[in-house]
Amino acid sequence: MSKIVAVHSYKGGTGKTLLSVNLAATFAKHGKKVCLFDLDFRAPSLFAILKVDNAECWLNDYLNGNCSINKVLIDLSSRILGNGKFFAALANPTTEAIREMSAKDRKWEMRALGRLLSLRNTLLNDQFDYLIFDTSPGLQYSSINAIVTADFVVVATTGDRSDVDGTRRMLQELYNLFEKKTGLVINKVLDPTSKSQKEEMDKRVKNVYQVPMLGLVPCFCEVLRAEGNLIFAQDKPNHPFTKILDEMATKIENNDVN
Amino acid sequence: MTREEILSKKPLHVLEKIRENLERLNEKMEVMIELQRHGHKDAQPLNDAPLDVMTLLSMPDHLRKTAMTICRCGRATAEEVSQQTSRARAVESAYLNQLVIMGYLKKERQGRKAYFYADRDSQR
Repeated sequence: MSKIVAVHSYKGGTGKTLLSVNLAATFAKHGKKVCLFDLDFRAPSLFAILKVDNAECWLNDYLNGNCSINKVLIDLSSRILGNGKFFAALANPTTEAIREMSAKDRKWEMRALGRLLSLRNTLLNDQFDYLIFDTSPGLQYSSINAIVTADFVVVATTGDRSDVDGTRRMLQELYNLFEKKTGLVINKVLDPTSKSQKEEMDKRVKNVYQVPMLGLVPCFCEVLRAEGNLIFAQDKPNHPFTKILDEMATKIENNDVN
Repeated sequence: MTREEILSKKPLHVLEKIRENLERLNEKMEVMIELQRHGHKDAQPLNDAPLDVMTLLSMPDHLRKTAMTICRCGRATAEEVSQQTSRARAVESAYLNQLVIMGYLKKERQGRKAYFYADRDSQR
Protein backbone atom coordinates (compact mmCIF):
# COMPACT_ATOMS: atom_id res chain seq x y z
CA MET A 1 0.00 0.00 0.00
CA SER A 2 1.37 3.41 -0.93
CA LYS A 3 2.14 5.86 1.83
CA ILE A 4 3.30 9.34 2.75
CA VAL A 5 5.95 9.12 5.46
CA ALA A 6 7.07 12.27 7.34
CA VAL A 7 10.33 12.28 9.28
CA HIS A 8 10.18 14.75 12.15
CA SER A 9 11.78 15.54 15.52
CA TYR A 10 11.45 17.96 18.41
CA LYS A 11 15.02 19.21 18.26
CA GLY A 12 17.48 19.70 15.41
CA GLY A 13 20.45 17.42 14.90
CA THR A 14 18.57 14.22 15.68
CA GLY A 15 19.28 12.72 12.24
CA LYS A 16 16.08 13.49 10.33
CA THR A 17 17.78 14.16 7.01
CA LEU A 18 20.11 11.17 7.38
CA LEU A 19 17.09 8.95 8.11
CA SER A 20 14.94 10.46 5.33
CA VAL A 21 17.57 10.06 2.62
CA ASN A 22 18.53 6.56 3.70
CA LEU A 23 14.96 5.36 4.19
CA ALA A 24 14.07 6.67 0.72
CA ALA A 25 17.14 4.94 -0.75
CA THR A 26 16.20 1.72 1.10
CA PHE A 27 12.65 1.76 -0.27
CA ALA A 28 14.07 2.32 -3.77
CA LYS A 29 16.50 -0.56 -3.22
CA HIS A 30 13.48 -2.70 -2.32
CA GLY A 31 12.15 -1.92 -5.82
CA LYS A 32 9.71 0.80 -4.74
CA LYS A 33 9.01 4.07 -6.51
CA VAL A 34 10.04 6.80 -4.08
CA CYS A 35 10.07 10.58 -4.00
CA LEU A 36 11.99 12.42 -1.29
CA PHE A 37 10.75 15.92 -0.35
CA ASP A 38 12.83 18.60 1.38
CA LEU A 39 10.23 20.38 3.54
CA ASP A 40 12.89 21.99 5.74
CA PHE A 41 12.55 25.43 4.17
CA ARG A 42 14.44 27.11 7.02
CA ALA A 43 17.57 25.07 6.41
CA PRO A 44 17.37 23.23 3.07
CA SER A 45 19.97 20.48 2.81
CA LEU A 46 18.88 17.78 0.37
CA PHE A 47 20.29 19.67 -2.64
CA ALA A 48 23.74 19.34 -1.00
CA ILE A 49 23.33 15.73 0.16
CA LEU A 50 22.01 14.64 -3.25
CA LYS A 51 24.55 16.86 -5.04
CA VAL A 52 22.01 18.63 -7.23
CA ASP A 53 23.34 21.97 -8.44
CA ASN A 54 20.21 23.53 -9.81
CA ALA A 55 16.55 22.73 -10.21
CA GLU A 56 14.13 23.90 -12.90
CA CYS A 57 11.58 24.58 -10.17
CA TRP A 58 11.77 24.29 -6.40
CA LEU A 59 9.21 22.92 -3.96
CA ASN A 60 8.80 26.55 -2.87
CA ASP A 61 7.47 27.37 -6.37
CA TYR A 62 4.95 24.51 -6.20
CA LEU A 63 3.68 25.61 -2.78
CA ASN A 64 3.48 29.20 -4.05
CA GLY A 65 1.22 27.93 -6.86
CA ASN A 66 3.73 28.94 -9.56
CA CYS A 67 4.35 25.53 -11.14
CA SER A 68 3.11 21.96 -11.27
CA ILE A 69 4.69 19.33 -9.01
CA ASN A 70 6.08 17.42 -11.99
CA LYS A 71 8.33 20.37 -12.84
CA VAL A 72 9.84 20.16 -9.35
CA LEU A 73 10.65 16.45 -9.43
CA ILE A 74 14.23 15.48 -10.26
CA ASP A 75 14.86 11.92 -11.45
CA LEU A 76 17.85 10.44 -9.62
CA SER A 77 16.96 6.80 -10.36
CA SER A 78 20.22 6.25 -12.27
CA ARG A 79 22.11 6.69 -8.99
CA ILE A 80 20.45 3.82 -7.17
CA LEU A 81 20.81 0.07 -7.25
CA GLY A 82 17.95 -2.16 -8.40
CA ASN A 83 14.73 -1.50 -10.27
CA GLY A 84 13.22 1.11 -8.00
CA LYS A 85 12.63 4.77 -8.84
CA PHE A 86 14.23 7.57 -6.84
CA PHE A 87 13.06 11.16 -7.32
CA ALA A 88 13.60 14.29 -5.24
CA ALA A 89 11.71 17.55 -4.74
CA LEU A 90 14.05 20.16 -3.30
CA ALA A 91 13.71 23.30 -1.20
CA ASN A 92 15.31 26.47 -2.54
CA PRO A 93 18.51 26.99 -0.50
CA THR A 94 19.07 30.69 -1.27
CA THR A 95 18.92 33.12 1.65
CA GLU A 96 16.26 35.14 -0.13
CA ALA A 97 14.01 32.06 -0.49
CA ILE A 98 14.51 31.07 3.17
CA ARG A 99 13.60 34.61 4.24
CA GLU A 100 10.56 34.64 1.99
CA MET A 101 9.31 31.25 3.27
CA SER A 102 9.70 32.29 6.92
CA ALA A 103 7.45 35.31 6.36
CA LYS A 104 4.39 33.45 5.07
CA ASP A 105 1.03 34.07 6.72
CA ARG A 106 -1.69 31.67 7.91
CA LYS A 107 -3.67 31.86 4.70
CA TRP A 108 -0.62 30.91 2.66
CA GLU A 109 0.07 28.02 5.03
CA MET A 110 -3.51 26.85 4.58
CA ARG A 111 -3.12 26.81 0.80
CA ALA A 112 0.25 25.06 1.20
CA LEU A 113 -1.50 22.37 3.26
CA GLY A 114 -4.03 21.96 0.43
CA ARG A 115 -1.20 21.58 -2.11
CA LEU A 116 0.59 19.01 0.04
CA LEU A 117 -2.65 17.07 0.56
CA SER A 118 -3.28 17.07 -3.19
CA LEU A 119 0.03 15.21 -3.75
CA ARG A 120 -1.80 12.09 -2.59
CA ASN A 121 -3.97 12.27 -5.72
CA THR A 122 -1.35 13.53 -8.16
CA LEU A 123 1.68 11.43 -7.17
CA LEU A 124 0.74 8.49 -4.99
CA ASN A 125 -0.38 5.17 -6.53
CA ASP A 126 0.29 5.91 -10.21
CA GLN A 127 3.71 7.54 -10.07
CA PHE A 128 5.04 6.62 -6.61
CA ASP A 129 4.68 4.07 -3.82
CA TYR A 130 6.22 6.31 -1.15
CA LEU A 131 6.57 10.03 -0.60
CA ILE A 132 9.12 10.79 2.14
CA PHE A 133 8.91 14.23 3.78
CA ASP A 134 12.06 15.53 5.47
CA THR A 135 10.87 18.32 7.81
CA SER A 136 12.08 21.15 10.04
CA PRO A 137 12.35 20.33 13.75
CA GLY A 138 9.78 21.44 16.31
CA LEU A 139 6.30 22.83 16.04
CA GLN A 140 6.16 25.07 13.02
CA TYR A 141 3.86 25.41 10.07
CA SER A 142 5.78 23.54 7.37
CA SER A 143 6.40 20.58 9.68
CA ILE A 144 2.84 20.37 10.98
CA ASN A 145 1.53 20.64 7.40
CA ALA A 146 3.76 17.67 6.55
CA ILE A 147 2.57 15.69 9.60
CA VAL A 148 -1.10 16.34 8.82
CA THR A 149 -0.53 15.17 5.24
CA ALA A 150 1.41 12.03 6.21
CA ASP A 151 0.07 8.53 6.86
CA PHE A 152 2.96 7.65 9.12
CA VAL A 153 5.43 9.79 11.08
CA VAL A 154 8.94 8.66 11.90
CA VAL A 155 9.94 10.56 15.04
CA ALA A 156 13.69 10.86 15.45
CA THR A 157 15.02 11.46 18.94
CA THR A 158 18.18 11.01 20.99
CA GLY A 159 18.75 10.09 24.60
CA ASP A 160 19.57 13.71 25.41
CA ARG A 161 17.59 15.16 28.31
CA SER A 162 16.75 18.30 26.32
CA ASP A 163 15.16 16.15 23.61
CA VAL A 164 13.28 13.53 25.67
CA ASP A 165 10.79 15.80 27.40
CA GLY A 166 9.97 17.85 24.29
CA THR A 167 9.53 14.73 22.16
CA ARG A 168 7.19 13.23 24.75
CA ARG A 169 5.04 16.36 24.82
CA MET A 170 5.04 16.59 21.04
CA LEU A 171 3.84 12.99 20.78
CA GLN A 172 1.01 13.62 23.22
CA GLU A 173 0.00 17.11 22.17
CA LEU A 174 0.60 17.04 18.43
CA TYR A 175 0.55 13.57 16.89
CA ASN A 176 -2.19 12.29 19.21
CA LEU A 177 -4.45 15.21 18.37
CA PHE A 178 -4.07 14.47 14.67
CA GLU A 179 -4.44 10.71 15.33
CA LYS A 180 -1.18 9.99 13.52
CA LYS A 181 0.52 6.63 13.45
CA THR A 182 4.06 7.09 14.68
CA GLY A 183 7.25 5.08 15.03
CA LEU A 184 10.06 6.26 17.25
CA VAL A 185 13.69 6.06 16.17
CA ILE A 186 16.21 6.55 18.92
CA ASN A 187 19.37 7.76 17.24
CA LYS A 188 22.99 8.06 18.40
CA VAL A 189 22.62 5.35 21.00
CA LEU A 190 25.87 4.52 22.81
CA ASP A 191 26.72 0.88 23.44
CA PRO A 192 23.42 -0.49 22.07
CA THR A 193 24.69 -4.06 22.04
CA SER A 194 24.68 -4.38 25.79
CA LYS A 195 21.59 -6.07 27.14
CA SER A 196 21.10 -3.49 29.86
CA GLN A 197 21.15 -0.65 27.31
CA LYS A 198 18.51 -2.33 25.13
CA GLU A 199 16.31 -3.07 28.11
CA GLU A 200 16.70 0.50 29.30
CA MET A 201 15.67 1.81 25.87
CA ASP A 202 12.63 -0.46 25.64
CA LYS A 203 11.56 0.62 29.11
CA ARG A 204 12.04 4.27 28.29
CA VAL A 205 10.01 4.06 25.09
CA LYS A 206 7.18 2.24 26.85
CA ASN A 207 7.09 4.44 29.93
CA VAL A 208 8.05 7.83 28.60
CA TYR A 209 6.81 8.01 25.02
CA GLN A 210 4.03 5.42 24.96
CA VAL A 211 4.45 4.86 21.21
CA PRO A 212 5.91 1.93 19.24
CA MET A 213 9.64 1.85 18.58
CA LEU A 214 10.62 1.69 14.91
CA GLY A 215 14.35 1.32 15.47
CA LEU A 216 17.44 1.91 17.54
CA VAL A 217 20.40 3.45 15.71
CA PRO A 218 23.80 3.23 17.36
CA CYS A 219 26.28 6.09 17.16
CA PHE A 220 28.38 5.09 14.13
CA CYS A 221 31.68 6.91 13.70
CA GLU A 222 31.62 5.93 10.00
CA VAL A 223 28.45 7.99 9.51
CA LEU A 224 30.16 11.08 10.96
CA ARG A 225 33.34 10.37 9.03
CA ALA A 226 31.41 10.21 5.73
CA GLU A 227 30.52 13.93 6.25
CA GLY A 228 27.26 13.54 4.33
CA ASN A 229 29.05 12.28 1.21
CA LEU A 230 27.64 8.76 1.36
CA ILE A 231 24.13 7.36 1.25
CA PHE A 232 24.80 4.31 3.38
CA ALA A 233 21.75 2.38 2.15
CA GLN A 234 23.24 2.55 -1.35
CA ASP A 235 26.98 2.94 -0.92
CA LYS A 236 27.59 0.60 2.04
CA PRO A 237 25.23 -2.36 1.56
CA ASN A 238 26.87 -4.42 4.32
CA HIS A 239 27.16 -1.72 6.96
CA PRO A 240 25.13 -2.34 10.18
CA PHE A 241 23.37 1.03 9.67
CA THR A 242 22.12 -0.21 6.27
CA LYS A 243 20.79 -3.36 7.91
CA ILE A 244 18.92 -1.34 10.55
CA LEU A 245 17.42 0.79 7.75
CA ASP A 246 16.34 -2.37 5.92
CA GLU A 247 14.49 -3.53 9.04
CA MET A 248 12.82 -0.14 9.52
CA ALA A 249 11.72 0.09 5.87
CA THR A 250 10.36 -3.47 5.97
CA LYS A 251 8.37 -2.67 9.13
CA ILE A 252 6.85 0.40 7.43
CA GLU A 253 6.12 -1.56 4.24
CA ASN A 254 4.36 -4.32 6.19
CA ASN A 255 2.52 -1.97 8.60
CA ASP A 256 4.37 -3.80 11.32
CA VAL A 257 5.08 -0.97 13.76
CA ASN A 258 3.49 -1.99 17.05
CA MET B 1 -49.08 15.09 -20.23
CA THR B 2 -52.80 14.85 -19.38
CA ARG B 3 -54.44 16.84 -16.65
CA GLU B 4 -54.81 13.66 -14.62
CA GLU B 5 -51.12 12.91 -14.94
CA ILE B 6 -50.12 16.41 -13.85
CA LEU B 7 -52.46 16.20 -10.86
CA SER B 8 -51.13 12.79 -9.91
CA LYS B 9 -47.49 14.04 -10.08
CA LYS B 10 -48.15 17.23 -8.13
CA PRO B 11 -48.58 15.70 -4.66
CA LEU B 12 -45.28 13.81 -5.12
CA HIS B 13 -43.52 17.02 -6.10
CA VAL B 14 -45.01 18.84 -3.12
CA LEU B 15 -44.00 16.02 -0.79
CA GLU B 16 -40.42 16.08 -2.12
CA LYS B 17 -40.26 19.85 -1.59
CA ILE B 18 -41.57 19.45 1.96
CA ARG B 19 -38.94 16.76 2.66
CA GLU B 20 -36.18 19.00 1.29
CA ASN B 21 -37.32 21.90 3.44
CA LEU B 22 -37.58 19.65 6.48
CA GLU B 23 -34.02 18.45 5.89
CA ARG B 24 -32.80 22.03 5.76
CA LEU B 25 -34.73 22.87 8.91
CA ASN B 26 -33.28 19.78 10.55
CA GLU B 27 -29.76 20.94 9.71
CA LYS B 28 -30.49 24.36 11.19
CA MET B 29 -31.87 22.71 14.34
CA GLU B 30 -28.73 20.60 14.62
CA VAL B 31 -26.57 23.72 14.43
CA MET B 32 -28.67 25.46 17.10
CA ILE B 33 -28.47 22.41 19.36
CA GLU B 34 -24.71 22.24 18.80
CA LEU B 35 -24.32 25.92 19.65
CA GLN B 36 -26.34 25.46 22.85
CA ARG B 37 -24.35 22.39 23.79
CA HIS B 38 -20.89 23.89 23.38
CA GLY B 39 -21.62 27.51 24.16
CA HIS B 40 -21.38 30.46 21.82
CA LYS B 41 -17.76 31.39 22.44
CA ASP B 42 -16.48 28.74 20.01
CA ALA B 43 -18.93 29.64 17.32
CA GLN B 44 -18.57 33.29 16.49
CA PRO B 45 -19.54 33.74 12.83
CA LEU B 46 -16.42 34.53 10.85
CA ASN B 47 -15.96 35.12 7.17
CA ASP B 48 -13.36 32.96 5.44
CA ALA B 49 -11.36 32.04 8.52
CA PRO B 50 -8.29 30.08 7.38
CA LEU B 51 -8.45 26.39 8.21
CA ASP B 52 -4.71 26.09 8.80
CA VAL B 53 -2.93 23.50 10.95
CA MET B 54 -2.64 25.79 14.00
CA THR B 55 -6.41 26.36 13.85
CA LEU B 56 -6.93 22.59 13.57
CA LEU B 57 -4.70 22.09 16.62
CA SER B 58 -6.64 24.59 18.73
CA MET B 59 -10.07 23.17 17.83
CA PRO B 60 -12.07 21.03 20.25
CA ASP B 61 -11.43 17.32 19.53
CA HIS B 62 -14.90 16.61 18.11
CA LEU B 63 -14.64 19.39 15.51
CA ARG B 64 -11.02 18.62 14.64
CA LYS B 65 -11.94 15.10 13.58
CA THR B 66 -14.60 16.43 11.21
CA ALA B 67 -12.41 19.25 9.86
CA MET B 68 -9.49 16.84 9.29
CA THR B 69 -11.77 14.55 7.29
CA ILE B 70 -12.79 17.42 5.03
CA CYS B 71 -9.10 18.39 4.66
CA ARG B 72 -8.32 14.85 3.51
CA CYS B 73 -11.36 14.40 1.24
CA GLY B 74 -11.36 17.93 -0.16
CA ARG B 75 -15.14 17.93 -0.60
CA ALA B 76 -17.66 15.65 1.07
CA THR B 77 -21.24 15.28 2.30
CA ALA B 78 -22.13 14.66 5.96
CA GLU B 79 -22.83 11.05 4.98
CA GLU B 80 -19.32 10.62 3.48
CA VAL B 81 -17.67 12.23 6.51
CA SER B 82 -19.66 9.99 8.85
CA GLN B 83 -18.37 6.91 7.00
CA GLN B 84 -14.79 8.05 7.66
CA THR B 85 -15.27 9.02 11.30
CA SER B 86 -17.70 6.22 12.27
CA ARG B 87 -20.00 8.76 13.90
CA ALA B 88 -23.68 9.31 13.09
CA ARG B 89 -24.55 11.32 9.98
CA ALA B 90 -26.66 13.74 12.02
CA VAL B 91 -23.72 14.36 14.37
CA GLU B 92 -21.37 15.08 11.45
CA SER B 93 -24.00 17.29 9.84
CA ALA B 94 -24.16 19.34 13.05
CA TYR B 95 -20.37 19.63 13.30
CA LEU B 96 -20.01 20.50 9.61
CA ASN B 97 -22.64 23.21 9.85
CA GLN B 98 -20.93 24.57 12.95
CA LEU B 99 -17.64 24.74 11.03
CA VAL B 100 -19.52 26.64 8.28
CA ILE B 101 -20.86 29.13 10.84
CA MET B 102 -17.33 29.54 12.21
CA GLY B 103 -16.16 30.42 8.70
CA TYR B 104 -13.78 27.47 8.26
CA LEU B 105 -15.85 25.56 5.71
CA LYS B 106 -18.08 26.41 2.78
CA LYS B 107 -21.31 24.62 1.96
CA GLU B 108 -22.72 24.09 -1.49
CA ARG B 109 -25.96 22.41 -2.45
CA GLN B 110 -26.25 20.16 -5.48
CA GLY B 111 -29.83 18.96 -5.72
CA ARG B 112 -30.69 17.43 -2.37
CA LYS B 113 -27.06 16.85 -1.37
CA ALA B 114 -25.03 19.40 0.61
CA TYR B 115 -21.27 19.36 0.01
CA PHE B 116 -18.78 20.81 2.48
CA TYR B 117 -15.25 21.99 1.62
CA ALA B 118 -12.44 24.28 2.75
CA ASP B 119 -12.35 27.09 0.22
CA ARG B 120 -8.61 27.51 -0.15
CA ASP B 121 -8.78 29.43 -3.42
CA SER B 122 -10.78 32.30 -1.95
CA GLN B 123 -8.13 32.74 0.73
CA ARG B 124 -5.97 35.09 -1.30
